[in-house]
Amino acid sequence: MRAHRVPQPEQPVPLVNYATREITCKIVYYGPGRSGKTTNLHYIYGQVPNERKGTMVSLATQTDRTLFFDFLPLDLGSISGFNTRFQLYTVPGQVYYHSTRKLVLQGADGVVFVADSQVRQLDENIESMQDLHSNLAEHGMDVRTVPLVLQYNKQDLPPDLVLGTAALDHALNFRGVPAFAAGALHGTGVFETLRGISELVLRRLSTAGSPATPSTAHAGSR
Amino acid sequence: MSTPYTDVLSAVTRQRGVLGCILVSEADGIIVEANVQVGIEAGVAGALVASLYRRARLGTDAAGLATVGFLQLEAEQGHVCAVGRDGLVLATLAEPKAHIGLIRSAMLHAMEALP
Amino acid sequence: MRARVAEAWVEAPLQRFVDDARVQFALLLHPSGQVLGQFGFTRAVDVMAACALGAAIHASAGELGKELDGHPFRELYHAGRDRQVFIAEAPTARGALVLLTAFDAESSLGLVQVYFRELRDALRDAAPPPVESGPALDVNFEQDLNRSLAVLFGRAQSPAPGDAGAPRPPA
Repeated sequence: MRAHRVPQPEQPVPLVNYATREITCKIVYYGPGRSGKTTNLHYIYGQVPNERKGTMVSLATQTDRTLFFDFLPLDLGSISGFNTRFQLYTVPGQVYYHSTRKLVLQGADGVVFVADSQVRQLDENIESMQDLHSNLAEHGMDVRTVPLVLQYNKQDLPPDLVLGTAALDHALNFRGVPAFAAGALHGTGVFETLRGISELVLRRLSTAGSPATPSTAHAGSR
Repeated sequence: MSTPYTDVLSAVTRQRGVLGCILVSEADGIIVEANVQVGIEAGVAGALVASLYRRARLGTDAAGLATVGFLQLEAEQGHVCAVGRDGLVLATLAEPKAHIGLIRSAMLHAMEALP
Repeated sequence: MRARVAEAWVEAPLQRFVDDARVQFALLLHPSGQVLGQFGFTRAVDVMAACALGAAIHASAGELGKELDGHPFRELYHAGRDRQVFIAEAPTARGALVLLTAFDAESSLGLVQVYFRELRDALRDAAPPPVESGPALDVNFEQDLNRSLAVLFGRAQSPAPGDAGAPRPPA
């Protein structure tokens, strides 16, 4: 398949309406197939009261694999006087959905990379991270500065099946961004991950302005 | 390129004072065939006349007057005429001095001759 | 009903399009799915869902066009049972925008196409050059953020209307 260049490079900027004091941010959950991206959104959807969320849209195959994306709109309420809304997207993880992953990533204000902590999935994680970098670059987004957090999912599996957060950090977290241990199926670490990426995305809009201090803050349980 | 509708439209556009003739789908306002003078936007005129004709037809239907046989509008700088059949509308744009009677006759014949 | 917009320069062109084309719903969005203006929706979260799907359809059609035709398809029409959908792209100085509009028998595809071209030209003329936006949030926004997320996840009491963290009425 031919690779298509996007004609207008862009830097992610959350949509801010100063007149009505509204902020809308697009956050994309990225990662290899079956790493738990959709599970994150399902958990969030199940937690949030109806009046603060929209319909969760899932463009999935008959076997519930993400075909195009999952989408969940959230209304966070007022933050510093701005009514703040998040648009949470997932991408399809399978390698052959490269085109659709790139489309969904367009205009992302922040990215959550959901890694599968299983030992046998390490190569897939690395490949997906490289794919993320490649797609960000194709959209003209700076891989070094785009708000990014990592989630090391499935840490609730037996210890002999999964890599620890230090090993995953070593393999994936070259930027030293915040990373969260999680077991998304039971909701562990999902909240902390969302809070982590929210903070990075919104910090870009704050008077502090400066990029988030690189730090690795493991949250959730192993 | 000639289509099955080319001759139908030509029969109308050869009338004196005719500026253009447009065959358009009544439901979606999309042009089937057009033959208009340079400067006339067939797409715009066709969509608007189709919408007008459709509303007129619905209006006469609702009033119990059966369907619209012939629709004519007089504007400052010309006429808009329309007839319809089987979901198609034939719209004709003409100069003020054009003979509307002849145009009407040509349009009705043209609609009968539609393939 | 009036169009609601995120940036003032799109309001007049969008409102005129809605009035002239007699459509039921209209969304003006960035190709990334961020909404710039809307008409006909009552809940902001519904707007966001429609934008996400509209942007996806537009992006998919564009890529399909590149694969099949060498060029992206710029316009797309879909006829439903009662409503029809038209999606098209309008290039502006602020980058490409996408119009997604739904209409019934009150309008027609031809009319929508005609008035879309007017909208496209009006947006092109009205688009101000891109500007760097300044900070929007206070330095200590984290407190509000934590409170909002805690409420969302049922880890805190919902704030009273008007308090920080309280949702505003739907757009």
